[in-house]
Amino acid sequence: MVCYLLTKPTNPLNKKQNKKIFWLLVEEQLPTTIRPPLPIIHSRKLAFPPKFKAPRQVWVSNMDTVEEEKLGLIDLHPEVFAERPRVDIIHENVRWQQLYRHVSYANTKMRYEVRGGGKKPRQQKGSGRSRHGSIRSPIWRGGGIVHGPRSPTPYFYMLGFNTRLNGLRSTLSAKLAQDDLHIVDSLDIPTDDPSYLEKLVEERGWGPAVLFVDDNDIMPLNITAASDSYGHYNLMPVYGLNVYSMLKHHTLVLTLAAVERLEERLLFHLNRNDAASAGQKYRLDSV
Amino acid sequence: MTSLLGSMISTLGMALRYRPLIGVSSQVSKANALFNPELTTVRFRYHADKVAKGPVPRRHGYEEKLFQSGLLPRKVSVDKALPMPTYKPKNSWNEKRALFGQNDYIDILGPSNEISQKTLHPTQLLYHVPPWLRGVQGNEYQVLLRRRKFVQKKGYALGHPTKWATLNTRIKKLYTYLNHKTKSPFWKHS
Repeated sequence: MVCYLLTKPTNPLNKKQNKKIFWLLVEEQLPTTIRPPLPIIHSRKLAFPPKFKAPRQVWVSNMDTVEEEKLGLIDLHPEVFAERPRVDIIHENVRWQQLYRHVSYANTKMRYEVRGGGKKPRQQKGSGRSRHGSIRSPIWRGGGIVHGPRSPTPYFYMLGFNTRLNGLRSTLSAKLAQDDLHIVDSLDIPTDDPSYLEKLVEERGWGPAVLFVDDNDIMPLNITAASDSYGHYNLMPVYGLNVYSMLKHHTLVLTLAAVERLEERLLFHLNRNDAASAGQKYRLDSV
Repeated sequence: MTSLLGSMISTLGMALRYRPLIGVSSQVSKANALFNPELTTVRFRYHADKVAKGPVPRRHGYEEKLFQSGLLPRKVSVDKALPMPTYKPKNSWNEKRALFGQNDYIDILGPSNEISQKTLHPTQLLYHVPPWLRGVQGNEYQVLLRRRKFVQKKGYALGHPTKWATLNTRIKKLYTYLNHKTKSPFWKHS
């Protein structure tokens, strides 16, 4: 909170009035950010320089004020952010994320597990009624279920390494192409007031749900406190990024550090020498 | 010519074909209707128009026995509708749902160990799945065998004797069923 001193008092004799005005000015004004002349952020050096595609250029905004101030223009690597989005791969990724952790605990008892049913209900012949061996056979009411669900049933499977990698690339590219990707310098906001964040998002036309991604997993205090009261503003580190979350949240906001880390990781995997061994099929108890 | 037409009309004596020709005056018109390459039939009835007029009735002749309208069920003595639970929409943005899928790509996006070059794998983060079931893909028989392997070390037979017995019975039954009653998979046939 910045305090502004009055250089010229309005009434030199009325000290009480001056004090009142002084404190009014202090309380009502939010700190104005003092910036060097724009653009601050000039350019970015891309790792594994693209040979056949042009880099995509994005504005870098600020989070200090509600109104958007463009701090500069940076390049994004086309192999990460300008890959033709493959909707089938995105679908596969979403399906995998939903299913691989699912375990069905539904269970039905077999005829030999249901209580009772060891004795033959009646004699084989003579009664005139149908013949039965057990009251818990599947044709009886209250009897066992033959091919019912058996707990626990895992739905685990591992999607191929490159399918997941390309899922990330496709989703990031789709987000950028649809104007749902924004870059900010950092996630530092001046207050921890939740309404500041809401006003900021509304002003800039960012979607109802926003996902803020930073490199570090410990986020600044103000934005953590501000977004805590909203379920649709979420903070995530780069290692937590995933296709499902990117699609669930309308807007994706990355910090510069997050962009650096994301590009470094994805380009590393795209250009590594031991890709075959890294992308091998997952084996149980190997990790 | 007339004999040809006449023969056509007489030989093609099907009612369906002849019906539209009833009332038509001359033989020539009838013949034209039967065979004329310059004539084409034009569609004037479309199912879409029928649908646009209102819902197309299905199951003609079927009488619905369930109540479609009228009062909800109520007790006769006290004229009050039976209680129904109040609808509460689910919160799509509670913590679990908002952050669903987080860390699923940790082996791609996460940092790797400097020396071993290893990253965390998403199967290591399945905290809500039983430890013996993490990363397991298989049918019931395979899952049960693994469960038995994990559970027998911890004295399960002493602590849960009935469940231990059920587990072993199930494995035995599945063994007999799979090996004596079902065919082996196609990739096992030479």
